[in-house]
Amino acid sequence: MGKLEGRVACITGGTRSIGRAMAEAFLREGAKVVVNGRDAAKGATAVAEMGGGDNVAFFAGDAAKQATVEGLIDFTIERFGQLDICCLNSGGVQNTAPVAQMTDEEWNLEIDWNLNQVFWGMRKALQHMIPRDYGRILVTSSVEGKAGKPGISGYNTTKHAVLGLVKSAAKEVGPTGITVNAILPGLIETDIVLATGPSSAASMGITYDEMVAMFVADSAIKRMNTVDEVAAVAVMLASEAARNFQGCMFPVDGGTLPY
Amino acid sequence: MGELDGRVACITGGTRGIGRGIAEAFVREGAKVVINGRSPEKGAQALAEMNAGDDVHFIAGDAKQREFCEQLVDATVERYGRIDILVPNTGGGDNYSPLQDYTDEAMQDALVWNFWHTFWTMRRALKYMIPQQWGRIMAVSSVEGKMGKPVVSGYVVGKHAVNGLCKSVAKEVGTLGITVNALCPGAIETDLMKEFGPGAAEGMGLTYQGLLDQFADESSIKRLNTVEDVALVAVLLASNAGAGITGALLSIDGGTSPY
Repeated sequence: MGKLEGRVACITGGTRSIGRAMAEAFLREGAKVVVNGRDAAKGATAVAEMGGGDNVAFFAGDAAKQATVEGLIDFTIERFGQLDICCLNSGGVQNTAPVAQMTDEEWNLEIDWNLNQVFWGMRKALQHMIPRDYGRILVTSSVEGKAGKPGISGYNTTKHAVLGLVKSAAKEVGPTGITVNAILPGLIETDIVLATGPSSAASMGITYDEMVAMFVADSAIKRMNTVDEVAAVAVMLASEAARNFQGCMFPVDGGTLPY
Repeated sequence: MGELDGRVACITGGTRGIGRGIAEAFVREGAKVVINGRSPEKGAQALAEMNAGDDVHFIAGDAKQREFCEQLVDATVERYGRIDILVPNTGGGDNYSPLQDYTDEAMQDALVWNFWHTFWTMRRALKYMIPQQWGRIMAVSSVEGKMGKPVVSGYVVGKHAVNGLCKSVAKEVGTLGITVNALCPGAIETDLMKEFGPGAAEGMGLTYQGLLDQFADESSIKRLNTVEDVALVAVLLASNAGAGITGALLSIDGGTSPY
């Protein structure tokens, strides 16, 4: 008997990396899962690789767009009848200009992807969850949600901001059957980090390898984290047993953050 | 197949309350567990109630004594061949006065109970964990390890000190396969709370029920926590997937502490 038997989850992102590991862990625990991504081909590959049969589906679209985030939730409810677990997980470093050179357009790209996505998804999920008096909303923030590095101000700002949203929403739904929590992973060498890491590093005036080494050095474990370490926390927070976890900022950062 | 198959745990306290909840969860996941308490009668009763046969062992003794703390860790290894998981769990506060009236003896007692016993057991356990390059230490701290209520300054100081100890040691053993974390539960109506809560409440000018209501009001969930909430996180940290979480002060307080 899995910990998520009978539950339905949707995950922004989810074809690869952290979201994918969450999806696989949720499937193992008996949930039905919809993952999302921009690329239909990658989505088909992910669904096939996960081997979850009818218990897993893919919804194509850019998570930085309101229509995608809301469409994912509608699609999940249509496909599986309900939504119990909403993982607002997509996100990353969109631009690496120093603040002095940042354009409004670049800034807004980051706000849409990392912050508005979470707001759009949370609002829509709550509208479904509140009448049912059950729900688990998990936001993938970051160690950068509490710390700060040069050159990734948009990422830092938005990952901080989602923690404010989580704390506030958690108090609104406080004693109900719905919980709202955040997970703060340390650096993980996901596809998105491989894709955007070099430009982040360049904005800090270092190489990609030096940037990875810097994150590793900041940790106590002197290595990066893994997607499975994040997925284990996600399963716990998504389970029915976690009813008393509310507004929690759960670090999975190998001892990086001081608080 | 449990998540802690083959693991050996030692818990100070553990016949009742949070320690007992953690012990039961560990046994369910396949671990062998040593619990402790001052009263052999309560120990025998706990063993009978847990009904786990040879997988759980009780050792009588006072965790406020250094010699006993060290013997308890050694005895765990003698009994089960190793120690993988240490839970310095016992603690509390039985002095309730404003600081101008706080005696040296009361402060010493609070620090021995909450902080020194954690230090003594942790130091001893590391002697075994460092050579085997695997260990999980999770100190039971409190929401009062991050915040502060009046007239229980000894308890508050002791729990803050435990949190500092965990952060420091986590960095020392970060690369050795050993994690060190603090569990920070909100108020739980354990036997200990029933025993000491009324005195603490009186010191704050509240009834016992008034104190419980205050804890609930300060939370987001508007109710007290449960021992099962703490056990849920304890199992996660003790598992292999917990390897990436260290030096963390994990709030299990229903959304009370702001950080």
